[in-house]
Amino acid sequence: MSCVNIIEKERNVVINPLKTCQPFGAMFAVTGINKGFPIVHGSQGCSAFVRYGFARHFREPSEIAVTSLHEDAAVFGGRKNLVAGIENLALRFKPDIIGVITTCSSEIIGDDVYGFTETARENIKKKMGEDSHEIEVIPISTPSFVETHYKGYDTAIKSIVNHLARKDEPNEKVNIIPGIVNPGDIRELKHLMNMMKLEGIFLTDISDPFDAPLRPSKVTKPFYPKGGVSVDEIKDSANSLGTVSICKYAGSGALSLEKEHKVPAAVDSPPVGLQNTDKFIRNLKKFTGNEIPNEILDERGILVDSMADNAARYLFGRKVIIYGDPDITTGIARFVGELGMEPTMVCTGVKSPSFAQDMEKIAKETGSEIDVMVGQDLRAVEVYLKENPVDLMIGNSDGRLISLDQGIPLIRVGFPVYDRVGYQRQPIVGYRGGLYLMDLITNTILEKYYEPTHWKLQQ
Amino acid sequence: MPYKLLEVDKKIPERKDHVYVKHCSDPEDHIPNCNTKTVPGSMSERGCAFAGVKGVITGAIKDVIHVVHSPIGCTSYGYGTKRYPTSPELPNGEKFPIENFNLKYILGTDLQESDVVFGGIKKLRQSIIEAHKEFPEANAIYTYSTCTVGLIGDDMDAVAKELTEELGKKVVAFNAPGFCGPSQSKGHHVGNLTLFENLVGTKEPPSTTPYDVNLIGEYNIDGDLWVIKKYLEDMGINLLSKFTGDCSHDEICWMHRAKLSLVRCQRSATYIADLIEEKYGVPYIKVDFFSTKYCSENLRTIGKYFGLEEAAEKVIEDQMKIVGPELEFYRKKLQGKRVFIFSGGPKSYHLSKPLEEELGMETVAVASQFEHKDGYKKMKDRVNEGTIILDDPNSLEFEEIIEEYKPDLILAGVKEKYLAHKLGVPCILIHSYENGPYMGFEGFVNLAKDMYSYIYNPVWSMLEFEDEPAEDGIEEVVMEIGLNSDELKENSESIENDKESKNEGEVA
Repeated sequence: MSCVNIIEKERNVVINPLKTCQPFGAMFAVTGINKGFPIVHGSQGCSAFVRYGFARHFREPSEIAVTSLHEDAAVFGGRKNLVAGIENLALRFKPDIIGVITTCSSEIIGDDVYGFTETARENIKKKMGEDSHEIEVIPISTPSFVETHYKGYDTAIKSIVNHLARKDEPNEKVNIIPGIVNPGDIRELKHLMNMMKLEGIFLTDISDPFDAPLRPSKVTKPFYPKGGVSVDEIKDSANSLGTVSICKYAGSGALSLEKEHKVPAAVDSPPVGLQNTDKFIRNLKKFTGNEIPNEILDERGILVDSMADNAARYLFGRKVIIYGDPDITTGIARFVGELGMEPTMVCTGVKSPSFAQDMEKIAKETGSEIDVMVGQDLRAVEVYLKENPVDLMIGNSDGRLISLDQGIPLIRVGFPVYDRVGYQRQPIVGYRGGLYLMDLITNTILEKYYEPTHWKLQQ
Repeated sequence: MPYKLLEVDKKIPERKDHVYVKHCSDPEDHIPNCNTKTVPGSMSERGCAFAGVKGVITGAIKDVIHVVHSPIGCTSYGYGTKRYPTSPELPNGEKFPIENFNLKYILGTDLQESDVVFGGIKKLRQSIIEAHKEFPEANAIYTYSTCTVGLIGDDMDAVAKELTEELGKKVVAFNAPGFCGPSQSKGHHVGNLTLFENLVGTKEPPSTTPYDVNLIGEYNIDGDLWVIKKYLEDMGINLLSKFTGDCSHDEICWMHRAKLSLVRCQRSATYIADLIEEKYGVPYIKVDFFSTKYCSENLRTIGKYFGLEEAAEKVIEDQMKIVGPELEFYRKKLQGKRVFIFSGGPKSYHLSKPLEEELGMETVAVASQFEHKDGYKKMKDRVNEGTIILDDPNSLEFEEIIEEYKPDLILAGVKEKYLAHKLGVPCILIHSYENGPYMGFEGFVNLAKDMYSYIYNPVWSMLEFEDEPAEDGIEEVVMEIGLNSDELKENSESIENDKESKNEGEVA
């Protein structure tokens, strides 16, 4: 029997959240722009906590400014803070682009962020003269009490694209909206596109900013990490052959480019596993007409080879639960099914009807019964596991204590991973990402469920 | 001019007052301007008041539920952010059934737009009741205001009062919305006041001794508190209440019964020591356990207070026998190394002198995110002429200090660490530590060892590709990894053996 069983949240209180608030997603998005600087219009914690989280996961600097709202701003409004904040940032750091990100407090106070930003732009122009033309200042409205970090990411990408994209000569590129993924994932996507003889415009690209080389001789003053998508590239996104959003929950930038500039859009699940990567490659082919080269098919073949060699023997029928962001969990659930494992429960903190639909499709494909938790938290996962033991958990580091208590090994993916190193550098997308993830899963199963001295491990 | 306008601050000249270079003949009140509003957009490293109360003061308490009344962000960010381990032991001899409860769970009300419009009280009530059902074993429920709540004006105290009666379990509301005060420091203050007003004096301890103390402002980061606890217990002193490392809810309730309060973090927790002294007449002393010198001095002071001078001397002697030779090794290695300490507050003055006097290093710059005047006075007292003292430095200032003062090592937080590394300077986590504990005698050795391993990490001499490398490979001293083994180990083992045989002798 194949079906999904939706498990509704039974309580009001959230215990160990699997989501965070909108500004997080916007800060992530702006960080992926070359010389891009997020400034958060809110209290200091709004930037400090996120910087802490980024630093802990990526082990990289994360420079995010804040307008430091104090009591007086709560009473009289945050105009002074925002205008001065943007000015100070522009004059001292000379970024190419400033993303002005709102929060719960600035939205409740009712600050006219668009108006204040305009004032700041004028002030900068007066003080910097010609130089100021090069600084784009973009308001991004992300009230924390509406939806989640994914909405914030989506809004940021849309605001940036709407503000910058300009119709011009057509280019031969494809835009990619990668979602909240790791540097390793973006690099893998670039690798696939390179093989397709295709250049991408990543909206946006955190691969270098969140995995930057340590080369003191190349350090700029002020420090900016190398890489990120440039403002000019974003402008040029209106002229691309198409936009692929590999994040179902952040497609509005792609749709907006389609509507405004006739750039066709494809919004899909991330290319995790065989079929999803196939779909991604087909999308690239559809937009470009480029042939799929043998190198890609060989990479696919290596993954297929490994699945043929190992999946049936070690993985078949193993029960897995997956938790985390909705797009990554959807991708992984499908891949786990392709490996012959059973995704018995999938949980996301984000509330989205399309999540359950996706799971239904996967249940049909795999012929399994999947318990689906939408808008749930890690405590729900913990309680579920007590009643329904499984062989493996796949999710972020926040599940590490559940894994320890219940003796179920945890495969770390997504955000945040802070108790192991290197995960941000390893892709889970593409055929090679699939291979990496599959090896990780298989070796974990071997380590946990096979006696080290047993003859089964001999060959 | 003692106050210095850094190059990077030309556009924000108001920063000049916050940057001071020590000049010995200056009047005493020449210190950085501090505890004032942050310059917007300056790239300050400060956090918010909510971080101050939950992240610092209450998050270490092991048997209470924390319910954050907020949109989801504050709740997510309040989860597992600080390394304060706890033991399951409770003062009544029982064990709390969930290990590391304080690190394991965070609860929140997940405020939505409709709550912002119509008020979040109903949701808060419901959430606290559900929290109580979910974790009936918890001994109290603490709930936290945040920016949203501060602005929409939910009366959390009223809810706490009602539910305390309804549930038969203490519910305490902490009113420190993120925007209140210039930094985390305001949250510390609110945390102190709230705990004092709601709890202190409401319960009696199961038993008392003439040697009962409160250890205040010690949060057991990486096990710091356990190090100090051992020394004090070896001296015959009883930790009646901890505030708040490895502490239970009840301990706060009977802090008024101690004979003496010891204030460790003097920025975040002198408030409650003052209040307890004023209302209940329990005196307090400010203590410092970083480094062998300060730790010895302060154990002696405590010993003297209780007439336990000999016991104090014995602890110091035993510990010094163990750590002395190791520290000697590190001193040779760290001699002359330049250090920049950028702590939240007090560690900048706790560590500046010990690093110089005991490890031969040179403190070239000190800074703090949220220290107040009294702290900066101490900081100034404890650094040399020419050392720069910064209040709330931002990342451009951080870069300029590195360039101008050329530290060999920085002690700072995780937000600064990786920037320092990109600029080619090793950086050690000083808020939550690398491989702590860092407190007490053995803790100081851990710190020295971490400083040594960061500075002497071979990578720093291989940062750039060389077309023509030196023939002998990297020039810098190769790490002596054997420092923990061989001679030193034998040395400390023989001391341990001596101790054991002495003890046996005493028994016989």
